[in-house]
Amino acid sequence: MTQAAPETPTREAWRMFRRNIPALMGLVILTGIVAAVLWGALVYQGDPFEIVWAPHEPPGVTPEFPLGTDYLGRNIVAGLLAGGGPTLAVGAVAALITMGIGIALGALAGYFGGWVDTLLMRVTEFFQVLPALLFAMVLVTLFSPSLWTIALAIGVVSWPQTARLTRAEFLRIKELEYVTAARAIGAQDGRIMWRVILPNAAPPLIVSATLTVGVAILFEAGLSFLGLGDPNVMSWGLMIGANREYILDAWWPVTFPGLAIFLTVLSVSLVGDGLNDAFNPKLRSR
Amino acid sequence: MTSFLIRRLVYGALLMLGVVVLNFLLIRMAPGDPAVVIAGEMGGASEEMLAAIRQDYGLTEPLIVQLGIYLGNVLRGDLGQSFFFNQSVVSLIAQRIGPTILLVLSAQVLSIVIGTALGVLAARKPSGLLSGLVSVFATIGYAVPVFWTGIMLIILFASVLPVFPVEGMASIKLRDAPWIIRAADIAHHLVLPAFTLAIIYLAQYARLSRASMMEVLGADYIRTARAKGTPERTVLFHHALRNAALPILTVAGLQFGNLISGALLVETVFNWPGMGRLAFDSILRRDYPTIMGVLFFASAMVVVANILTDLSYRLADPRLRGGA
Amino acid sequence: MSLLQIDQLRVTFQTRHGAVTALDGVSLSLNAGETLAVVGESGCGKSITALSVMGLISSPPGRIAGGAVRLAGEDLTHASEARLRAVRGAEVAMIFQEPMTSLNPVLTVGDQIAEAILLHQDMTRSEAWTQAVALLDRVGIPSAAARAKDYPHQLSGGMRQRVMIAMAVSCRPKVLIADEPTTALDVTVQAQIFDLLNEMQRDFGVAIMLITHDMGAVSEMADRVAVMYAGRVIESGAADDVLDAARHPYTRGLIGCIPSVDHGGALAEIPGVVPPLHLLGAGCAFAERCAHVREGCRLARPELQGGAHSVACFGAQEGWV
Repeated sequence: MTQAAPETPTREAWRMFRRNIPALMGLVILTGIVAAVLWGALVYQGDPFEIVWAPHEPPGVTPEFPLGTDYLGRNIVAGLLAGGGPTLAVGAVAALITMGIGIALGALAGYFGGWVDTLLMRVTEFFQVLPALLFAMVLVTLFSPSLWTIALAIGVVSWPQTARLTRAEFLRIKELEYVTAARAIGAQDGRIMWRVILPNAAPPLIVSATLTVGVAILFEAGLSFLGLGDPNVMSWGLMIGANREYILDAWWPVTFPGLAIFLTVLSVSLVGDGLNDAFNPKLRSR
Repeated sequence: MTSFLIRRLVYGALLMLGVVVLNFLLIRMAPGDPAVVIAGEMGGASEEMLAAIRQDYGLTEPLIVQLGIYLGNVLRGDLGQSFFFNQSVVSLIAQRIGPTILLVLSAQVLSIVIGTALGVLAARKPSGLLSGLVSVFATIGYAVPVFWTGIMLIILFASVLPVFPVEGMASIKLRDAPWIIRAADIAHHLVLPAFTLAIIYLAQYARLSRASMMEVLGADYIRTARAKGTPERTVLFHHALRNAALPILTVAGLQFGNLISGALLVETVFNWPGMGRLAFDSILRRDYPTIMGVLFFASAMVVVANILTDLSYRLADPRLRGGA
Repeated sequence: MSLLQIDQLRVTFQTRHGAVTALDGVSLSLNAGETLAVVGESGCGKSITALSVMGLISSPPGRIAGGAVRLAGEDLTHASEARLRAVRGAEVAMIFQEPMTSLNPVLTVGDQIAEAILLHQDMTRSEAWTQAVALLDRVGIPSAAARAKDYPHQLSGGMRQRVMIAMAVSCRPKVLIADEPTTALDVTVQAQIFDLLNEMQRDFGVAIMLITHDMGAVSEMADRVAVMYAGRVIESGAADDVLDAARHPYTRGLIGCIPSVDHGGALAEIPGVVPPLHLLGAGCAFAERCAHVREGCRLARPELQGGAHSVACFGAQEGWV
């Protein structure tokens, strides 16, 4: 009530977001992780595969290796810094692919309805029947693992939920008056879909995209843990998978990468929850 | 009800047909000679072996005929031969599907029962301590990689608190014991894997059932129940929970596929001799017939779970019964 | 002594605006076998009065801050939860405004009636079921034995309200509280439900507290009337006296107006709406909407006075309204 100027929805959402302490914490942690990873890539530039010390050096003993070394004597800090990049990149790219496929199919189904809707929803249901991780494993194995195939595989298995969400939003919004108005002045279907309806469906889709990044990171970690990632690229999941045989001798080589994954996914989902609350102030008390 | 069941079964069968076609296409789309792909990477298959595969799968025929042959084989219950394990895929999976079903169902029951109980208790005090814990726990549970939880539990239970076995499904030394002791032994081995898998979903069911219960507890018919002198416990578990359970049931059905994905990782971590472990082993050996067989059966489990969910939903909600 | 005696009842609610007083010294009495209509617009406190009698004010945010609810001399505001459960349904029963949502959608109507019987009477399950079917028959539901196995969504609104009435009278309560029992129903069905309630009163000797905003219902049902406004009783007396010679300007407005379709909306004859409870000042709560308002009305709150036909209005008490 202090300002008379009307607030834009974005600004209002940001104001709500700023008041949300868990969401802010998530944003801070996430920024910290991204900054550390960037610093590792640009300044530190340690080779995560290089054997630098005796194996299984515990954390906090040698100042050069504050988190210790793994079963081969590789520096865990170097692994964490180098592994973050691929993990985050695959997460982000996979989320983009997921959103791309999901929004395109959901929009078509919701906008056109009829047989298009029936067909696309049957396809969506079909993809929901396939256990996602297993399907992704098959895809990655068939088409040889690289960051791109992994991101693509994660995208191909995770889009159905986005498609359902987009479809529901399109079904709701296409009945609203401004869409009818756009149609009345002769706007084309494509224009109505992408320029009129999609921007209005944006808030839930942005929230969904954020949460999808978290899911994609967990997927990537699972695949790398199973040894299905690119063996020449360090990632947090790979660190856990590689050291798994020795967990009873040394807890730290698996614990720190796991914490890194946990913190990243946690911060992403806190931000997602915060965005959700910011876009839907009425649902906040839930 | 019967016609609904028949419709659901036909639809399920169509979905499975889709899975078979997808399997077929995936093998054909893989780079390289399909016969070599099918034989798998086992240090080079012999020429006679490849010839036999081309013969069996009709690989010299047009694609559509190959699909026909493949479909025919699947209908006869033949999902091919694993050249690595030197067994038919169906018999391989038959040995492994039991432990997976045991693990997945235990985790499902654990997470739904404990999660719902926590959610119901939390709903009674929406701003109480338990409510706060439930939402924090749900947010954290969602972000922890399931395989890492398993590893952490192994470290904890192997070295600090050795009360549960951390590997396998049965103790070898009890192989000849009476069945009841073997069953107890399996249950003992099941504790950690099932709990690891359940923990993520447990938190989510707690959050969901809390929200659902809070909504239901504000409903008019709850006030009616109280107005006729119904004790609070009956109000909660008889009147409210039966209504609040409907969204939980929906999510339980939707989560089943994710649960199977999670089981894959958990089986690998705990050396649980199920389909996930089999998928992992066969993927490392590029044993495609086995991988595709696992994908087929895992999808079939999801289809069956979805049909059961739909059925139980109809039983739980009288508004869906009868017509419509 | 009355069967049900409400004395100076005060109920407060904790809200974002701080504690507000929803009921401010409400006193009502209900004699055995009679019908008392409690009348007023939405938000005047009628339903809260009813829920207080049942001990169903949700706490927090609600709290009974003072006064007493005496059922045959026993103060229910200080009764234990166990005692209240024994009273609810058995001695005081209640039917609600929304028959569509007041029945549990996943239980059969027979089960819901039988549950009430089993809670308060020493019966087997099958005896209770037989009793439930007999009650459904009694409240005019055709082929009751079959309908008892129906779920609420299979019945019409009027039928559901009959089910609610059957459930309410199932344990022969002394008091039946009917909170806007016909508001959500068709006009033709409304009359049937009132007839049924009158019949129940005759046959079971139950005293009815009818909560309504509809003066037509009052003339049809009530022996006595209490008019409420902003958490207080502002006029009370025999139904004929109040209907024929209302003393409070607000009551006159209620009688003059035809019930609007959207109950809870503004009344045609009285401009304005009930003020939000947290904005009540020191004076008469109706002052802002009253055509006869004088300076004194805004300074002090009139008390309910005047014997058998009492009123809380300076103008009526002093003879200038």
